[in-house]
Amino acid sequence: MPRRRNLLTAILIVLPWTILLTIWHQNSGVFYLAIQRKEPDNGTKRAPINNSHSKEEQGVCVHQEAILTQQFIKLEYIYIRPPQWSQALPTIYVITPTYTRPVQKAELTRLSNTFLHVQNLHWIVVEDSPRRTSLVAVLLEKSGLNFTHLNMQSPKSVKLGLTKSSSRTPRGTMQRNLGLRWLRDKLSPNDSSEGVVYFADDDNTYSLELFEEMRFTKKVSVWPVAFVGGLRYESPKVNTAGKVVGWKTVFDPNRPFAIDMAGFAINVKLILKKSSANFQLYGVKGGYQETSLLRELVTLTELEPKASNCTKILVWHTRTEKPVLINEGRNGFTDPRVEV
Amino acid sequence: MKSANELVRQKDQKVLHLQTEVKKLQKQLKAEEEEADGQLLPTIYAITPTYTRLVQKAELVRVSQTFLHIKRFHWIVVEDALNRSKTVADILAQSGLVYTHLSAPTPTVYKLKENEPNWLKPRGVAQRNLGIQWLRENRELSEEAVVYFADDDNTYSLKLFDEMRWTKHVSVWPVGLVGGLRFERPVVENGKVVRFYSAWNPNRPFPIDMAGFAVALQLLLANREAKFNIIAERGYMESSLLQSLVSIEELEPKADNCNKVLVWHTRTEKPKMKQEDALLKQGKGSDIHIEV
Repeated sequence: MPRRRNLLTAILIVLPWTILLTIWHQNSGVFYLAIQRKEPDNGTKRAPINNSHSKEEQGVCVHQEAILTQQFIKLEYIYIRPPQWSQALPTIYVITPTYTRPVQKAELTRLSNTFLHVQNLHWIVVEDSPRRTSLVAVLLEKSGLNFTHLNMQSPKSVKLGLTKSSSRTPRGTMQRNLGLRWLRDKLSPNDSSEGVVYFADDDNTYSLELFEEMRFTKKVSVWPVAFVGGLRYESPKVNTAGKVVGWKTVFDPNRPFAIDMAGFAINVKLILKKSSANFQLYGVKGGYQETSLLRELVTLTELEPKASNCTKILVWHTRTEKPVLINEGRNGFTDPRVEV
Repeated sequence: MKSANELVRQKDQKVLHLQTEVKKLQKQLKAEEEEADGQLLPTIYAITPTYTRLVQKAELVRVSQTFLHIKRFHWIVVEDALNRSKTVADILAQSGLVYTHLSAPTPTVYKLKENEPNWLKPRGVAQRNLGIQWLRENRELSEEAVVYFADDDNTYSLKLFDEMRWTKHVSVWPVGLVGGLRFERPVVENGKVVRFYSAWNPNRPFPIDMAGFAVALQLLLANREAKFNIIAERGYMESSLLQSLVSIEELEPKADNCNKVLVWHTRTEKPKMKQEDALLKQGKGSDIHIEV
């Protein structure tokens, strides 16, 4: 009798601890982030996470600010050595928001073909989806590029621009902000390595020269962009002294930064220094998205004009037609197992 | 006292000069590498018809960035124009690719008018035929090579070129986002093409898109009369060439027995020029010296 009682007691003591440890383990991410927030200089902040440099898996659950319902953000960093990485060159961090649609694979494929020519490029792809998709994951892995694959689902109203009010969140905002957040999480302001951040949408066209122009940005550099604002191109206005004094646009040229997302790049140290600067999510007037970030980082006079004092076009705001899939009919005609 | 602009311009010129030097050296190095290891590698000739429109430069730049990865690649760009333009000439020179630059104007009666839908008249025919003719005049039957008709707005994966390189007669594969479907493709049984999976006029001799096949150079050189027929009915353009070259049984299926999509028939939107047009009316159009 006493043996059985001892056993029972033992089980009753061990069981709650086992349950507690299981829950604790699952939520270790939360604690990790809690630690991070309280003690940013704590050198052991990465302690709970395996420190190997090979494929790393980190699952993190985070509670977002009040406006949004609970979001799950998975951060995963996979490092594949790209050809000819140079310690001497600043890294170009390209943040690309993307979403599932028929042309997605094509867009990402041709974009990756472009990026494969650029030295020291780190591609941060952020899917607008509840989970990272295998289509994008496999594409990135096979590409040979240095990349980070993230995801963040926009609420439905934001996604399709369904709210017709002027204060709607433009596409890709939350995803770009997640990219910035990842950078701030990953890099330390005291790190000596140089870098620049560029927001590259997946349907634009980029010349290789563009990346070399932006590479040595000190704060924020700017250049013309073709096919935006209903014009052949929009461009910063540069005076004879080589300073940006205004904007050559027709649409609201009095915006503090009348420039397209593809028309500027930011030194990563500035992003790290101004750690709360993000694209504004709500209440942004049409055309002011870029301003909502840039005004927190730099003034007009500090802008560095590139592309021969903003006289050359090195990036085009191309848009891809939505393919007509009329013959798929209601139930689909083609084999859904074949990835397109 | 030189102004900042002057200094910047000088520096830019120097940079441009150095960049050209680097490109030249890179090209040389590439050619030497290919000579060394690629003696046996068949060349891929890509014939691309192109025409002047706003997005032309962007399209050519973007597609050249894909091509730049391909070994032993020769780009034959044929403009729909009376004369070769400086814009395209510059793009090709800057591209780092081995290329041939030609031009052939589409006969006026076949030229699409501004607002006509693109399927109304056959496009690119005169240009592709000139590309084929150039090969016939400048290449030998003994050369192992393959010819691909690559439009400037499609999207090509790098793997596609591996698949087509060893074509003996005519090889085929699926094409994404075409014919009103997610993809069209040849249907393969026991390693042979038996029919085609397409919803639009599937009874054509070859219901396959221009981007879905490649032809061995030798086949084109041996059949000197084979070319695209400009008066072919809509959708029969590809058939008009392939009929005289090959039968269905001879087709070589690629891309994992035609189960993988390695090329997409993407199309680029025409950019909105509302503000530009408004400015032009006022005589204040954007600087035309800035090439777009």
